[in-house]
Amino acid sequence: MTIPSTRAQAAGAERPSFAGVAEAHLDDVHAYLVYLTRDRVLAEDLTADTFEKALRGWHRFDPRRASARTWLCQIARTTALDWFRAEERRRRRDQATAREDRAEPVFGEGLSPELESALRSLTHSEREVIALRVLLDLDGDEAARVLGISPTNVSTRLSRALKKLEEKVGTHVLA
Amino acid sequence: MSSPDPLIQLRAAKPAASPELRERVRALAAGTPEPRPFFLARLSLRRTLLVAAPAALALALGAAGVIGFTRSGESERVVAPPLAAVEKAGTATRATPPAGGVATDQAATLPPTAGRLQRYDAELRLRVNDLDALSAATQKAMRVARSLGGYVASAAYDAPETGPGSAMLVLRVPAIRVQSAIVQLSGLGTILGQRIGIEDLQGQADTIADRIAVLQGEIASLRRQLETPDLTDDARAQLELRLAQARRELAELRAALEQTRTEGTLATVSVSLTTEQTARLREQGRLGRALDRALDALAWEASAALIALAVGGPLLLLAGGTWKLAAVRRRRAEERLLDRSE
Repeated sequence: MTIPSTRAQAAGAERPSFAGVAEAHLDDVHAYLVYLTRDRVLAEDLTADTFEKALRGWHRFDPRRASARTWLCQIARTTALDWFRAEERRRRRDQATAREDRAEPVFGEGLSPELESALRSLTHSEREVIALRVLLDLDGDEAARVLGISPTNVSTRLSRALKKLEEKVGTHVLA
Repeated sequence: MSSPDPLIQLRAAKPAASPELRERVRALAAGTPEPRPFFLARLSLRRTLLVAAPAALALALGAAGVIGFTRSGESERVVAPPLAAVEKAGTATRATPPAGGVATDQAATLPPTAGRLQRYDAELRLRVNDLDALSAATQKAMRVARSLGGYVASAAYDAPETGPGSAMLVLRVPAIRVQSAIVQLSGLGTILGQRIGIEDLQGQADTIADRIAVLQGEIASLRRQLETPDLTDDARAQLELRLAQARRELAELRAALEQTRTEGTLATVSVSLTTEQTARLREQGRLGRALDRALDALAWEASAALIALAVGGPLLLLAGGTWKLAAVRRRRAEERLLDRSE
């Protein structure tokens, strides 16, 4: 089954099934949440939560307004923010310390240690925009819709993130 | 570093969902029946506007049409005087609107009662097309009065170079022929209004006649007393004084009776003729009036819409600005939350 990935494709297509959408965009949502949370285990849980929410709100999904992938990323972001808020309240209550970064690779198998380290050093907003624009290959409008900012801001944020990544990795291939 | 291009590395190393997660999501999607699409989800802003704008326009036009047709009869009631026929103590008055509330060519008549003296007053308001017709109608009205044995009590004719012309005639015609007069006069133009008033004078005439008979008896008695030869000078002078007073009163009563009889035998018919354009407008058809009312209603709706826009526009802008500000604040709060979670 072919799932429209862009808004333009979605606008001209019939409404897809939820199962088809979930199958097509599971990896995208998961990768986005990995970059947002820097935690693979947490990202898996949030991905599952995202699809549960998506199924409950599937009747409200309008393919003409946004592609299924954009809509799922918006839900994923809201789900992650809800989790961070709850986590922050729990930490305040338990006087617990912040989560510690794990030593194992987070952002994907096969990344160089320099790149893995550079990604860890980016802020969440920089990683988020890289995930959306580079990994998921969303266009500027779609990424802006997910992040709730303007397309210009997305471009600015992406440029800054890539430059920072370049400096951290120490290569000159990112122009 | 295995690749010189971090972007290629990033794409190549894109985190993939674990088989467990994949199965979990598949089970989730397969185990729950898909809800039907929400009706409102199909309504985009553009589609809503495409439906709502013509619907609002149709509603406004429909309301204006309904108002126009339901109120188109009001002008008829304004133009025509209310129909009133009152008979009290021998007096009758009738104000007759044009038939059906609109201008007509046929006047209604109220005949005088045969054998009784009655003061009969009739008023006719007629519209003619132009000044030529006004002149012709005025002359013909005078001829009608004379042909029926009456006369023109007064006449006023006004035909200015600009503006509507008018004529006002007061005709006196024999009461027994007043119905014929009204019928003929009503044919001079389009009737805009009519009023007929009848006042009974028979009782008044009978009272005067009775008093005259009494006075005539008194006068005869005074004459007989004056013919008595043994009257003193004072008594004779008093009788002659009373006789003179009686004769004077008798003359006045006879004049009053004559006047009453004249009033009762000659009806007064007032005819006003006009070329006024407003009269034409008033007598236009129901469809025309309905159109006028509908246009008035549309103008009112447009005014109301403008007022609503003037009042509601700033409120909408304020609401939009507030919503935008809240969105910005919410996004910044989210950014701070994510920063704290680093």
